[in-house]
Amino acid sequence: MREATLTMTEPISGKSGDAVNRPAETQADPIAVEEVELVQRARKGDMGAYDQLVQRYQERVYATVYHMTSNHEDANDLTQEAFIKGYQALKSFKGGSSFYTWVYRIAVNKTINFLKQRKNRSQMSLNDLDFNAEHDPDLVALISDKNPRREAGLTELQEKLNEGMQKLSEPHRLVVTLHDVQGLSHEEIAKIMGCNIGTVRSRLFYARQQLQGFLADYLK
Amino acid sequence: MNPESENFDSLRQLLALKRHEIPPPGYFDRLPRDIMARIKAGDTGDELGADFSWFRRLVSAFDVKPIFAGAFGTVVCALLTIGVMTSERTPAFAAATATPVGPTAGGLASSTTEVEIASSSSNSVPAGGDLFSSMPSLQATPVVSREFYPGGN
Repeated sequence: MREATLTMTEPISGKSGDAVNRPAETQADPIAVEEVELVQRARKGDMGAYDQLVQRYQERVYATVYHMTSNHEDANDLTQEAFIKGYQALKSFKGGSSFYTWVYRIAVNKTINFLKQRKNRSQMSLNDLDFNAEHDPDLVALISDKNPRREAGLTELQEKLNEGMQKLSEPHRLVVTLHDVQGLSHEEIAKIMGCNIGTVRSRLFYARQQLQGFLADYLK
Repeated sequence: MNPESENFDSLRQLLALKRHEIPPPGYFDRLPRDIMARIKAGDTGDELGADFSWFRRLVSAFDVKPIFAGAFGTVVCALLTIGVMTSERTPAFAAATATPVGPTAGGLASSTTEVEIASSSSNSVPAGGDLFSSMPSLQATPVVSREFYPGGN
């Protein structure tokens, strides 16, 4: 059995020491400083501080889990459990990375383990598209082509796209989600996945190839 | 290999669609409340996606590697066969091993007893013979009842 490759408590940068003890590195970024303060307070049991951290990162964590599972209910459960686990394990957070990256890794680990458990079950419970989808320049350009094979509506495209995503392996799906959907850099993805940038690039290339093949009828 | 250099523009345009998938209205207002409530209730967050127990690891290994399932089945069958063979040989084995041992300190009386037990058991159960040969047997005669074949004559 293949275990999830990411470890929750390992410092991502490989550096030892606590970010709390390295204020010089974090003073330049007020948001980072505020995050460190919130983490410090949360470690001391301040629930309000942790609540703020949850509010700050919930959308991104949820989105990643949702795009990995293509299921709202699963994404809801996993997001909640990732933040709960984050709170429980806060004392082991060494500050080698940002709290955001750390909690992201918890969520990703949980999601990958969950997907392995539900390996033979594929059911999608897709979220609705927001109103702006019809006006997205990328999508307008894609759909406006008069090719009869692409007369599909956005909902059908959404289903087909998610179907294609589910055909990718977890690491490949994760790379596409983090880079092409959420816009993270290769470096950030490498930190989250605990691999080098070359691996991220090659996985991204392979995943895109697979998706492009699967969605050929819907692409120009 | 640079993924940016390849022509994936259409695919990236299509992937933009995923950014527009949004959860039900008000979801992100409720989520922090639910999380904090579960933390206060002492929830550990280990229900989903937790590390597998040993049993789940075993089952998952079968899922991933069928050869492992086959090997496991072979081992179980071999153990079962050995167990059955051992249990069949046990009376004869007991008789064979119940030979008198040499006189040891205080062991004469006990070795005699062992021989007696062995000889009595060998009378009732012939070594290497049919275990049921000395037992009363039931004569079973097949009975064909017409009640089972209501349509037959």
